[in-house]
Amino acid sequence: MIKVGIPRALLYYQYYPMWRTFFEELGAEAIVSPVTSRVMLQEGGARVVADTCLPVKIFIGHVLSLIGNCDFIFIPTIRSIRKNTYNCSKFLGLSAMTRAAVPEAPPILDIMVDVNKGRLRLYQAIYRLGKNFTPYPHKIRQASLDAWRTQLKYRYMMSNRGLTQPQAIAKVLGTSTPESQVESPETKTTIAVIGHPYLLHDDFISHRIIPRLKQANVKVLTPEMLADTTLESAVMKVMGRIQWTCESEIVGAGEHYLRSDVDGVINVMAFGCGPDSLMMDVIRRQATRLRSTPFMNLTIDEHTSEVGIITRLEAFMDMIYRKQRARVAVCG
Amino acid sequence: MRVSFPTMGDYWVFTKAIFDKLASELVVPPPVSQRTLTLGVKYSPEGACLPFKITLGSMIEALELGADTIIMPGNYGPCRFGYYHRLQEEILRDLGYKFQMINESMGIRRMAASIFKGSRLSEFLPGLIFSLAKLKLLDELPHTLYRIRAIEQEVGSATRIYKDTLKPLDKAKSYRELRQVKKEYLKKLGSIPTRSSDGVVKVGITGEIYVVLEPFANMEIEIELGKLGVEVRRPISLWEFVSNFNPLVIAFGLGERRRCYRAARPYLSCHIGGDGWQSVGEKVLHAKDWHGMVHLEPFGCLPETVARNIMSKTKEELPVLNLIYDEHTGKAGVISRLEAFVDMIRRQKRKPAEGKRSNLTGGRAHGSLSRH
Repeated sequence: MIKVGIPRALLYYQYYPMWRTFFEELGAEAIVSPVTSRVMLQEGGARVVADTCLPVKIFIGHVLSLIGNCDFIFIPTIRSIRKNTYNCSKFLGLSAMTRAAVPEAPPILDIMVDVNKGRLRLYQAIYRLGKNFTPYPHKIRQASLDAWRTQLKYRYMMSNRGLTQPQAIAKVLGTSTPESQVESPETKTTIAVIGHPYLLHDDFISHRIIPRLKQANVKVLTPEMLADTTLESAVMKVMGRIQWTCESEIVGAGEHYLRSDVDGVINVMAFGCGPDSLMMDVIRRQATRLRSTPFMNLTIDEHTSEVGIITRLEAFMDMIYRKQRARVAVCG
Repeated sequence: MRVSFPTMGDYWVFTKAIFDKLASELVVPPPVSQRTLTLGVKYSPEGACLPFKITLGSMIEALELGADTIIMPGNYGPCRFGYYHRLQEEILRDLGYKFQMINESMGIRRMAASIFKGSRLSEFLPGLIFSLAKLKLLDELPHTLYRIRAIEQEVGSATRIYKDTLKPLDKAKSYRELRQVKKEYLKKLGSIPTRSSDGVVKVGITGEIYVVLEPFANMEIEIELGKLGVEVRRPISLWEFVSNFNPLVIAFGLGERRRCYRAARPYLSCHIGGDGWQSVGEKVLHAKDWHGMVHLEPFGCLPETVARNIMSKTKEELPVLNLIYDEHTGKAGVISRLEAFVDMIRRQKRKPAEGKRSNLTGGRAHGSLSRH
């Protein structure tokens, strides 16, 4: 059986169930790299230039860990999934960058997804990808339709049942829920954590921010729990049009949660992330203007210490609890 | 209506020529200075890239001069540049400035209507073509300058002639005057006493377009390289960018940009925003005819970071110096790295002639340090 390696980083969190269904339908096996470790960061970071952003360094580390375990590595180039809206440059050059940084890697399966070039090009790209596994076009068609259905189900689970991405992946694929993602009992305080899924749900990058908050009996909301239409309309309200594919995760979710009745909003961004450096400022300005919800920004890089993150989380939570107490005192 | 653009290098000559025939008045912001940068840095998000900060500072300086309308280009694409104007508008409004921002997000037709308001098309169109002729000249003039600068006897004389030419170029009102300006400029440059041209190395400059074209942002790298006896090659310019929209250039795959894309294809097959694809192609394309390449980028630039990762692994070999700029970059640091780079190229160039056991410390002095 052909083994296709999928690095557990970047777009994995958004599309893994879809990819896995596609490859399994075509008779291949999808192999996912293990969870992020310090070794991966060190090895991946040594292959690329120093100011590449943290998630990409870790991505290269995941690719390195897959060498020897698979026949192909799947690195799609998702350029654009909406008209005139593009992904960050690092996603566009990801397969080329991996090829340059890891020359010893197994052959890279690359699929170019760009809706600006029309439907036909997209279908051609899918068939070209499928040709690696089967010569029959109808099989590829069936596999891609099934994959798309899985993706819709996956998206529905997150937006309508309030699951986070790792939880939804576990549910869709029928594996057990990771321990750190188990729901906490009903609580009074709700915190929205906004940021890209590959930061929030990678326990190594985010220093387990979400599990930590849940441990403190806080209900955590994340961007994927909102429907796409909600996110897009929120972005349009603030910025007028959408520039980046990932913009809805920050600006859309930020705007929505700042106006909803959450007790606080935490933004997680990676140091050196281009889109985030501007989008975070848009949301910070919005928070300052609205003056309704406490807002904190956490910038993370490979030198960020866990203790620093904990201290800031504690201080932020203390502030929110104090605010709640004050409100109760006024009402009483 | 008092319109203004953020500055970029000497291109104020071009923007002035466009507005010559328009009803609205143009406010030319002062050249980029430390004050521009400080203003920009103060009000920008810290992670934004250097061009964002400089253009923001330039906008503030234009508004201080009484501009009430700012034109800031923007585009769709992965680069942060397309996002600039929206955040900059918000920042300036939060600072309390009253102005109108014209950009492509209001639609091309409305954008054109608001710029051309009150001016006649029959006057404007010839004016636009004339301003493009000026732009082309602005692209042509430096090429001779680079050649002379590397071999001039008195440091700075060629640069002085170039700077003096900008004023008559700005004043020129007809094609005949343009030709005259060019002729005079070439004559003056030709009369500069020069040294012999052996030992001159050719170094290309490439990278992010704003940092390449704005001398303040790149610490006047062209002049510094000239002082080291380097003939600079700079394929990137605003004219080169504009000529890309020429249908003939697109149809026949002409132009530096298209050639670069073709050259870069084995390593990078698609556009990654900004000038990233071109930077990779530039190295592959000119591996034979340049002795080295200096690659400029603002800190955290998305496309150029990707390009740098790919560039270092190409089969075609060419020494590349990567210079990364932000508001804390010091000129002395840039100069000493340039010196080391040029010394390395010279040594490499001498190697085949002198054999492997050449004495690196002795022999001919390359004069890099003595000229400062």
